[in-house]
Amino acid sequence: MHTIQQQYWAVREYLSPVLKESKFKEHGRITPEEFVAAGDFLAYKFPVWSWEKGDGSKARDYLPADKQYLLTRGVPCLRRASTLAYTDADEDAERLLSFADPKDGAAGGAEEWVETHAGRSAGGDAGGHVGTIDDIPDVDDADGEVAGVLGHLSLGGGGVPADIPDMDEIPDMEEDLEDEDEATAAAPKASNVITADEVEVAKGNLLQVRTYDVMITYDKYYQTPRIWLVGYDENGTPLTPSQIFQDVSADHAFKTVTIEPFPHSASLQAASVHPCKHASVMKKVIERMNQGIEEQQAARRGATGKDGKQKKWLFRRASGNGKDDKAVPAGEEEVEGMRVDLYLVVFLKFIASIVPTIEVDSTASF
Amino acid sequence: MPIVQFAPFQSLVQPAFWHALTDLKIDVLRLSEDALPVTATYTTGRAVKDRETGNDIALGCNLTISGDAFSNTHLPQHAVAATGSFKNFNTIEDFKNADKTALFNSVADEIWKSITVDKSTALLNRFLVLTFADLKKYKYFYWFAFPAFASKPAWEIDGEWAPAEDILGADSLAAIRPQLRVSPRPFFLVRASGGQATTAPVEDYVSFFAGVPPAERAIGFIDPSAVPNNPGWPLRNLLAYLRALYPEDAAQGLRVLCWRDSETPQTGAPGGWKSRFGVVKQGAGESIAPTEKPSAVGWEKNIQGKLGARVADLAPMMDPTRLADQAV
Repeated sequence: MHTIQQQYWAVREYLSPVLKESKFKEHGRITPEEFVAAGDFLAYKFPVWSWEKGDGSKARDYLPADKQYLLTRGVPCLRRASTLAYTDADEDAERLLSFADPKDGAAGGAEEWVETHAGRSAGGDAGGHVGTIDDIPDVDDADGEVAGVLGHLSLGGGGVPADIPDMDEIPDMEEDLEDEDEATAAAPKASNVITADEVEVAKGNLLQVRTYDVMITYDKYYQTPRIWLVGYDENGTPLTPSQIFQDVSADHAFKTVTIEPFPHSASLQAASVHPCKHASVMKKVIERMNQGIEEQQAARRGATGKDGKQKKWLFRRASGNGKDDKAVPAGEEEVEGMRVDLYLVVFLKFIASIVPTIEVDSTASF
Repeated sequence: MPIVQFAPFQSLVQPAFWHALTDLKIDVLRLSEDALPVTATYTTGRAVKDRETGNDIALGCNLTISGDAFSNTHLPQHAVAATGSFKNFNTIEDFKNADKTALFNSVADEIWKSITVDKSTALLNRFLVLTFADLKKYKYFYWFAFPAFASKPAWEIDGEWAPAEDILGADSLAAIRPQLRVSPRPFFLVRASGGQATTAPVEDYVSFFAGVPPAERAIGFIDPSAVPNNPGWPLRNLLAYLRALYPEDAAQGLRVLCWRDSETPQTGAPGGWKSRFGVVKQGAGESIAPTEKPSAVGWEKNIQGKLGARVADLAPMMDPTRLADQAV
């Protein structure tokens, strides 16, 4: 059934026309050309991102052959989303959960809610969910569902310890030499755990540094970028889907994030955020940002020279597009608004709210 | 003086590699167990700032092996390549019973020969990977070895590892970076004085350092470790190389630059340059002649920290029935 569905999606994508007109401000959708422009900008500003060719036989002809998708490797993910402390989450998550702030929790009604999430935060990894939920009468639907499915999946996937092969130790190995080797640094994993213990004993929130390879492709049917994740644990072992879902905020796991074949590889499966709502969300974000930028641009016209200290790239003058600007009707010439180059930067900020602990939004560090 | 402790390589096998192996096994290798050349890559070590605590967390000292390991078509940005010997076994019994010591020693011999005979650094990062692919269950058993020569007595550090910026100066580092970008090499020589710096391949040691006072010399390597006081694994064989070929210089102390900056830091950014610097010397005590092959170590430990094979279970990501279960 799943296979049929995937075939259906493939055919649907094949049949859907390539978006020609620029509509990113109206619909939040972009054309392949705009995707390439935004990708160029992203790769230029943040060199951790680079264009990839992918599998030649899977190349999409509406994109340049050497710019099929964007890739960044080894994106760190320090904590699980399920153990996320809600205090300093990124803006989007914080907005959603702002009433969970302990300071506001004094009011009777909000208390239950706070309790739930405090319990979850202390519960540690996914296995802890089930017990926590039993204790709390007011169970949040999403939590129960996720815990249930996680439990179900883990039966098959097995915990990490169960994965260990029953491998005989090799007798003829020069183990003494290896063990005695004083010049080998202690396993990095151990040192990480120690750091975490020192820092966060109180929270019981152990640091397990996972890394992700993150890909951004262009989805022709939804006419938006689409994000793909391949994860590794601290030992370099690939993550199972249920482990990946630990890094996805509970609102999205099993709903918008699923495992699907990566479109630019013959065989790779990757977790993906389904793009069906991307356009509408991006539209909202862009509208808000555009308003802000237009206001600032208008203000800047009033008092030029004040913008020196603001984020330069956000208001980069359209030096390369000077001609285009003149072609714009007189009404719009005043303020240019947000440029499509920024689309992917904004998109990553939005994705960061779905996978709050994976630091895909490298833009914050610049 | 404290002993230098090297951060061992950690293998990071991308799922794409297992896919490539599956195809190769079915279409090309079939029942062959011949050793094949593979290429892996590593980059400078990275640390990430934990936003909750403000601490720097070092990411693993990774050697990444990807889907194009057998074809070796392109290197990712800022990465340097390491070549290895790959051997796939047909049965789990063969995998368990393989004469691992012999395989390991043959790779170590190759490295030693490249040092003493060819005087080349090309094979210093040579590694060994043994696999058994259980294609029906999507399980892959694998064991990496990164042979490194153990120095007896061990290498010691004069003082401790310090930020390279403090010793060489930011100007020198800024001058080195573009040169490494143009010609990325895992090991390089540095001649630095008065804010200027030039680099050269390690093979040019004699001509490049002729007449250069020791205080202006440095030996650099792309350091995959991000732990402040543990240089990465590649340094071990580089030191063995220098000791074998230039024993007098090695006895006086080698000025080592652990290169960890793939990007020029933003001016005024906290931390600045991440590269480390230290003077490394062999400890006192009886040592073998520089021409004699030292013993080598370097089997990768499994996730329990024991010497043993690792396993990648890709069933959750590859098995169609399992995928159907979690699909919505």
